[in-house]
Amino acid sequence: MFAHVFKYRFKCLLRDRWSVFWTLVFPLLLATFFYMAFSNIDKSEIFEPINIAVVDDEQYRNDQAFREALSQASAGDDRLFDLTVASEAEADRLLDENLIDGYILVRSPMKLVVRNSGLKQSIIKSFIDNYVQTVSAVKAILKEDPAAQEGLIRDLANRVKYVREVSATSAEPDNILLYFYSLIAMSCLYGSLMGSREVTDIQADISPVASRVNAAPVHKLKLFICNISAAFVIHFSEMLVLLAYLMFVLRIDFGPRTGFVVLTTFLGSAAGLSFGAFVSALGKKSEGIKIAVIIGVTMLCSFLSGMMYQDMKYIIAQKVPVLSFLNPVNLLTDAFYSLYYYDSLSRYAFNAAALLALTLIFCSSVYLIIRRREYASL
Amino acid sequence: MIINARNLVKRYGDLVALDHLSFSVKEGEIFGLLGPNGSGKTTAINCILSLLKYDNGEVEIFGETMTPDAYHIKRNIGIVMQNVAVYNELTVYENIDYFCGLYVRDKNLKKRLVDEAVEFVGLNEFTRFYPKKLSGGLLRRLNIACGFAHRPKLIIMDEPTVAIDPQSRNRILEGILELNREGATIIYTSHYMEEVEKICSRIMILDKGKAIATGTKDELKAMITLGEKITVESYGVTEEQLKRMRSLPNIVSVDYRDQVLEVKSGKGKNNLETVLDFIKKEGIQFGKIYCELPTLNDVFLELTGKELRD
Ligand SMILES: Nc1ncnc2c1ncn2[C@@H]1O[C@H](COP(=O)(O)OP(=O)(O)OP(=O)(O)O)[C@@H](O)[C@H]1O
Ligand SMILES: [Mg+2]
Repeated sequence: MFAHVFKYRFKCLLRDRWSVFWTLVFPLLLATFFYMAFSNIDKSEIFEPINIAVVDDEQYRNDQAFREALSQASAGDDRLFDLTVASEAEADRLLDENLIDGYILVRSPMKLVVRNSGLKQSIIKSFIDNYVQTVSAVKAILKEDPAAQEGLIRDLANRVKYVREVSATSAEPDNILLYFYSLIAMSCLYGSLMGSREVTDIQADISPVASRVNAAPVHKLKLFICNISAAFVIHFSEMLVLLAYLMFVLRIDFGPRTGFVVLTTFLGSAAGLSFGAFVSALGKKSEGIKIAVIIGVTMLCSFLSGMMYQDMKYIIAQKVPVLSFLNPVNLLTDAFYSLYYYDSLSRYAFNAAALLALTLIFCSSVYLIIRRREYASL
Repeated sequence: MIINARNLVKRYGDLVALDHLSFSVKEGEIFGLLGPNGSGKTTAINCILSLLKYDNGEVEIFGETMTPDAYHIKRNIGIVMQNVAVYNELTVYENIDYFCGLYVRDKNLKKRLVDEAVEFVGLNEFTRFYPKKLSGGLLRRLNIACGFAHRPKLIIMDEPTVAIDPQSRNRILEGILELNREGATIIYTSHYMEEVEKICSRIMILDKGKAIATGTKDELKAMITLGEKITVESYGVTEEQLKRMRSLPNIVSVDYRDQVLEVKSGKGKNNLETVLDFIKKEGIQFGKIYCELPTLNDVFLELTGKELRD
């Protein structure tokens, strides 16, 4: 019997074009759209190494530390400079022919020769400033505390980090990830369309087909559980498809905790379904109105959790913190976020627990409403 | 007794949809519920099925109290709701199979029953169609098939033939008689009196949630004073003649409109003869003449003072 019900429920849900669109096609499209939008940003603003020269003279050759700093900044994929070592005359010629943006004369103080001013020139400038500052700090410290040498060497190595931060200004991988987190969270919540339908199809005062089912010799709650399990299996599978698409096709890196990402999606799927069931159980309104409410609420939740405008998330967290705990999309986004950025799982656990609590509240409300098998009006 | 409903009261706020309604249905009957729109037919059915909570009264089906979890009772009931109740995502065949499967577990039996039901409503060519692709009438037929495919002992049909063309309607009425001959007891709800008159063995007339009369169609017709209705196409009848006609013995009313003379007579013999004699004697020119026995509409009209059809 339940295999029978399950089988047909499966068919019904999979053939419901709109629900498949919102829960699967739309998220995939949106993911692709996000991906294209962000990779364009990446391409247009990707950091090109700056062409510079350094004049090869005595001072340069003697300044071991500066030589090292320069060569470090000119090595690797995310290098700051493409460095040419040349005579002063040669460097002048390169600058005239626009083959380099500036050249450095190792003097005291350091001298930077440029033809015009712009972003590239100021990056070279700030590199030199930074170097000078570090060197003088090192000297000062060494004078007072020669034993600190070891720590300073580590400090110097930080220059590498400085280089990376400069080169990463526009790409901001964290923000892009946030968009994808909200996207997954939103898709989870679209599961509410399926949850809503389950209630519609079991409540005789909402749909005629439910009257027929209610008149059949089947336990209503058992039937409902069977139906919603089918919905869950479908929706969770759709979410797995979305995750796989993000990870393997768009190559979004969610960090090493894939298992937890899947678990979070699992919770999200359950939260979505139960939320939809809850909305549907609340009233006898038409299916169209319910779908509108669900899509509206989902969009609003996504907006408040920063899907369209990132700072929204922080504004809400500061101004109306309660809302961030009640917003399932936000809880999901935050759960993903904390998985990626924090080693400790405590913030993740908090989000997951809050999500679970919301789900349980929705489920028990739905239970209280649909367990009645006689209706006040049809 | 298949159904025994006593004193059903259902209120929607101030509106009393069922007003102390009692009736019983015997095994093997086709029991007709006849009443105008809003008289409480659907409400009565939903109460019997324990779908609707009622304010007072009790319902026994197959001799046991009906409750929402009386599955052994529900197993033997089939319903055809007034509103089409099928899944839009399932084909004709799948819909029938789904609902049949809620009652019948044995796979082979189920398959046979579903095939029979498809045959019964004549949807053989449409088994792979989705409901959205069916015409209104075909959809109604699917709705019927979903209701009785499991061959229940009691079939409750709420206006099953609405929107079905006369030909298919007759076919379905034949089918209902056939199901009845095979042993099913049927409750049939309609506001088409011809249908009810044609197939029902007993009829309850409902108005405003009350049963105003119950009986076979002959019993119902015997309840009223109207004998027959005589209609005569005639020309140039004067007021004077009409007046004299009204004073004839056993004539209840005489109307003359658009050259049609309508004469209603009380019960008794020779009414037609009286009218014809009068017409000949007065030298009234006449064309066609019909004589009809009272219909259920006349019964309803006389009992409630209004037409059954609005
Ligand atoms: N859910 C409801 N809320 C309020 N009133 C209702 C409700 N359902 C039915 N009614 C009222 O109860 C009365 C009986 O309605 P019901 O549907 O039983 O009539 P019916 O005889 O089946 O009519 P029809 O021939 O149109 O199907 C009507 O006056 C109707 O307006
Ligand atoms: Mg009705």
